[in-house]
Amino acid sequence: MEILDEKELKAKKRTKYILIAVSVIFIVFLLVLPLISIVVNSLKKGLDFYFSALSTEYVLSSLGVTLLATVIAVIVNTIFGVIAAWLLTKFTFRGQHVLSTLIDIPFSISPVIAGLAFIMTFGSLGWASGIIDSINNALGTNIRIVFAIPGVVLATIFVTFPFVSREIVPVLNSVGRDEEEAAALMGAKGFTIFRRVTFPHIKWALLYGVILCTARALGEFGAVSALSKTRGKTFTLPLEIDALYMSGSADSITAAFAASSLLVVIALIVLVLRNILEFGVLNKKKKKGKDR
Amino acid sequence: MYVELKNINKYYGSFKASDNVNFGIEQGKLVALLGPSGSGKTTILRMIAGLEHPDEGEILIDGKVVNNIPASKRGIGFVFQSYALFKYMTVFDNVAFGLEVQKVPKAEIKERVHELVELVGLKGLENRFPNQLSGGQRQRVAFARALAPNPKLLLLDEPFAAIDAKIRQELRSWLKEMIEKLGITSIFVTHDQDEAIEVSDQIIITNKGRIEQIGTPIEVYQNPQTAFSASFFGHPAELPDYTKFNSFEKRDDVDKAFVRPEFIKVTKKTEDQFYKHSAVEGVVEQTFFRGDTIELLIKVNDTYITARRGLDEGIIEIGETVDVFIYRIFVTSGEKAYLIKNSALREESVVI
Repeated sequence: MEILDEKELKAKKRTKYILIAVSVIFIVFLLVLPLISIVVNSLKKGLDFYFSALSTEYVLSSLGVTLLATVIAVIVNTIFGVIAAWLLTKFTFRGQHVLSTLIDIPFSISPVIAGLAFIMTFGSLGWASGIIDSINNALGTNIRIVFAIPGVVLATIFVTFPFVSREIVPVLNSVGRDEEEAAALMGAKGFTIFRRVTFPHIKWALLYGVILCTARALGEFGAVSALSKTRGKTFTLPLEIDALYMSGSADSITAAFAASSLLVVIALIVLVLRNILEFGVLNKKKKKGKDR
Repeated sequence: MYVELKNINKYYGSFKASDNVNFGIEQGKLVALLGPSGSGKTTILRMIAGLEHPDEGEILIDGKVVNNIPASKRGIGFVFQSYALFKYMTVFDNVAFGLEVQKVPKAEIKERVHELVELVGLKGLENRFPNQLSGGQRQRVAFARALAPNPKLLLLDEPFAAIDAKIRQELRSWLKEMIEKLGITSIFVTHDQDEAIEVSDQIIITNKGRIEQIGTPIEVYQNPQTAFSASFFGHPAELPDYTKFNSFEKRDDVDKAFVRPEFIKVTKKTEDQFYKHSAVEGVVEQTFFRGDTIELLIKVNDTYITARRGLDEGIIEIGETVDVFIYRIFVTSGEKAYLIKNSALREESVVI
């Protein structure tokens, strides 16, 4: 290696500090300060107001809807994402690239349009409404999708659709098929191969995908907004926050901040959980390393 | 024959990866599939393993047609080129995997794994992960893993390619010794002729999807039968016009002529020599010290040829003019190859 003289060393150091300063300023002004202001604003009228604002029927209902939609979306998309990533990396078939591109559609389409698309599909004017009606008639049920919880869940699934598969695909691609081939050659069946050979490779990418998916599902506004019109029934937390804020009184604005702080807290919990998980596993590995 | 391939054809789209491949391998032999990259040797290995399927023809293992038998039921062990060790499993778990899949009792697995780990000389490293092992150690794990379920046939895909040259030599002899000790029929793929010559009992030379020649290392080395074998084996140099070298008979059907370093005698001008009249002059352009010999790159008749001299012979400088005598050459005519001896040698034998 070349030995840097003092001038070059100094320049290198200066670059480092400039980069640190830029990053810190960016993060503080665009991330930390706004988040702090949410917490500060939500507590402006005291803790009592804070908790009463959170325990109104509307807020509790919207929290329930958000959590339900998020849990379902994460489960569905995790399963779908793993299957899709598996398909895209382990098999070659006609239309592979088309499929891969289609999966990415939610990234490029505005969520509002996604919501409207669902209305045009499942709403009273949509082509699928006849199918739903006939199902309802046959089974004596009263399933509604648009402007009801199923619509909210569908919209959430739609916008969070690519996250898991997009995280896993590159990992699976870089790992290749050798290990799986070796396992199959020894007589292992598909699921055993996945569980013992493939899964250990993708688990961190999968976890990361799930976290991104969760965060996006919790915060989804546009698509859900198009499909959800009843406050207290089908509103999600972001919609409720918007409604509170738009109603304009000083109390409701503070309540909007209080509800926002809830989302911030959930997001923080998810991140902390992830770090604990990761840290725990790393530690375990290190310990195992020392034992031998 | 323990393994037999009959009229195997395999296409990848319009590319013919195997072109009417036929050969048989006797039980207990260590066989090398040798050829340049893209010659179809790995395809053959993978078809025997059941990882690829021939479009036409039959593959027999132990007298049974295995075309429709899945890889896992063919009783083979496979060592992958990059070993394909399970990255997130310890050495123990890697070796145990095949047995676990077969639902062998735990105690038995433990015994077998320890036996194998000891056999390959990795005792004490059972709890390491693959990335905590050296290249050579990884290969040993791959070997042990392939042997764990007691296969009747061991297939190795470029087993030494991922190992640095230094320990490759050591591993070659180790592997040969191991396989001989176990008596397991083995086929390995390589593009390295020295490796094939040194390790195998039998060499199958592949080129463009075809089998060029089959024989013991000595047979294929001494007596290349096809144009490809002659041009491939023994680091030959091509002679554009061999008739310029004294004193070879001119033949009309010759396409190409090749000379190997060991066919050449290089003599300093100051040294005595037997075939002075049949030698041609050349200029030494480069010298390479190879440890036990000195390799010389010599320009003769506008052609570069490589020759060797022992360390006990007089030192040759770069730029020195020397006499070059060629004992014999290989010439090819169509698909066939022949050996031509220098006629000076024949005259000699007549005189004596």
